[in-house]
Amino acid sequence: MKLATVISSAVLLLALVASWIIQDRQLKPVALTPTLTGQVEYCLTCHTDLSQISTSHPVETFGCVRCHGGERLALNADLAHSTMRGGANPSDLAVVEASCGGSDCHSGAAGNYRDHIQRVQTSLQTTYAGAIAQILYTFGAQADLKPRYGIQAVEAREKTDPNTPDALLAFDPSKLRSPGILEFAENCLTCHLHTESLPGSQTYRFTGCAACHSPTTGGDPEQIVHRLTTAIPYTQCNACHNRGNYDLRSMTFQTRSDAPTDRLHDYYQPIAQFTRCEYTLDCVDCHTRQEAMGDGNIYSKKKDIQYIQCKTCHGTLTELPKTTTITDPNDLALRQAFLNPVIDLKVGDTILVTDKGEPLWNIRPLSDGTYEMFGKASGQRFTFRSVKGTACQQKVDQQESRYCHECHAVQR
Amino acid sequence: MTTKILLAISGLIGLGELARFLSFQPDPLPPEQYDLGAADQYPPGSHSVISEARAILLHSPDGFSALSLVCPHLGCTLKQDQDGYACPCHGSKFDANGNLKNGPANKPMRALQVETTPNNRLILHTET
Repeated sequence: MKLATVISSAVLLLALVASWIIQDRQLKPVALTPTLTGQVEYCLTCHTDLSQISTSHPVETFGCVRCHGGERLALNADLAHSTMRGGANPSDLAVVEASCGGSDCHSGAAGNYRDHIQRVQTSLQTTYAGAIAQILYTFGAQADLKPRYGIQAVEAREKTDPNTPDALLAFDPSKLRSPGILEFAENCLTCHLHTESLPGSQTYRFTGCAACHSPTTGGDPEQIVHRLTTAIPYTQCNACHNRGNYDLRSMTFQTRSDAPTDRLHDYYQPIAQFTRCEYTLDCVDCHTRQEAMGDGNIYSKKKDIQYIQCKTCHGTLTELPKTTTITDPNDLALRQAFLNPVIDLKVGDTILVTDKGEPLWNIRPLSDGTYEMFGKASGQRFTFRSVKGTACQQKVDQQESRYCHECHAVQR
Repeated sequence: MTTKILLAISGLIGLGELARFLSFQPDPLPPEQYDLGAADQYPPGSHSVISEARAILLHSPDGFSALSLVCPHLGCTLKQDQDGYACPCHGSKFDANGNLKNGPANKPMRALQVETTPNNRLILHTET
């Protein structure tokens, strides 16, 4: 009896000592109370070395939890990370509304240019609607090429094109028996923004918004990329584009066989033709936010949403490119230039504008009749001329780039 | 005897842990009042940034007033420029009186209360 009491006392003492030591060894929390949430969070206790994700999302204002989720007061890594949204990528489309949404953030009104999430959900890069329709039609599962299915069910937002569907159903290959469709579903659905990237550093990208806005390609997939930017280099677009082709006979992705190390050869696949500006500039220098992220209509083909042509910047033999003068301090062009200040833009400046009225905020006419463009990713300044007044032999109704390539294609 | 010693030590450690638990101080809430010191430190016409309160104290002919430098859009700290105030995060701009010039903010800067005490000290109130 006495021995048992002694042992019990000793065990109690040991337990208390162990408890004291464990308490003492716990991390001393580093507290941050972001302005936006007003709630203290301890994430910086471990993550002091992370660089600020962008000047628009300073950690003192946003903190970590507003975007990433997680247990804000936990000091144990597993517990702290247990409720994070999208793992390390809160912009994954499955959780993007909770992470990046909100009327003042990225799911507000179209009139305030805050409808990024709504538009992306309808964009071709997300729905893959055309490819799905094409395959279903080819293998007899539907009678025409009309898009009916997307990767996820989605409704059009602020629809302006009457020729596009109001909504898509979720593509569910498990209900289909055609081997071709099943192979397509298994092997060919890796391009859209919901999926992980193909293996390899050249195709490495995140899902969701970060697929484009967190440049990763050519980097180490094991390294954390904590960056959001609108200065997107062509290499990021090439994580999906120009890396190869889907072979519809074998239903597999065939990567391009060359291994270029320079921009001239890396930009496009070997078979492609292009002009100097098409490989010197980055994709985002010409292609607009609506082309890349959608405009709320549900399209089925890239051609339906991609509308920038050579003439958008260079005009035609009879017309100069369209321009607009910024009069409203809330103009979208000013907001875009603020986020990526490669150009000093202000009210009163004249810039180029697309046929749909989207500002080409990085391009403006000069007093000598030429134009200047600032690379959004490179910051480089380029100058160029309009076609009008030159000896160009273009036909006014032939404005697709392939016609310009006849004379202006680069040899490689 | 051994048991008594072990229990006594356990009791002391237990009391120590209890004291540590009871003395835990949660992170303090940010203050809602700031003593800005003597009013005569702020000459007429002065614009004084009160960093710790994220506010600016203005001394105009009408007296003292203050504006919050917390952007009404998403809460970034506004910076003074030659025309007023600008948000370094999203580009909203405000004139020298805090009126909205351009978004994405859709509200003016928040006016804060400045109290002058009987001994001529200034108290800034930041509570909403």
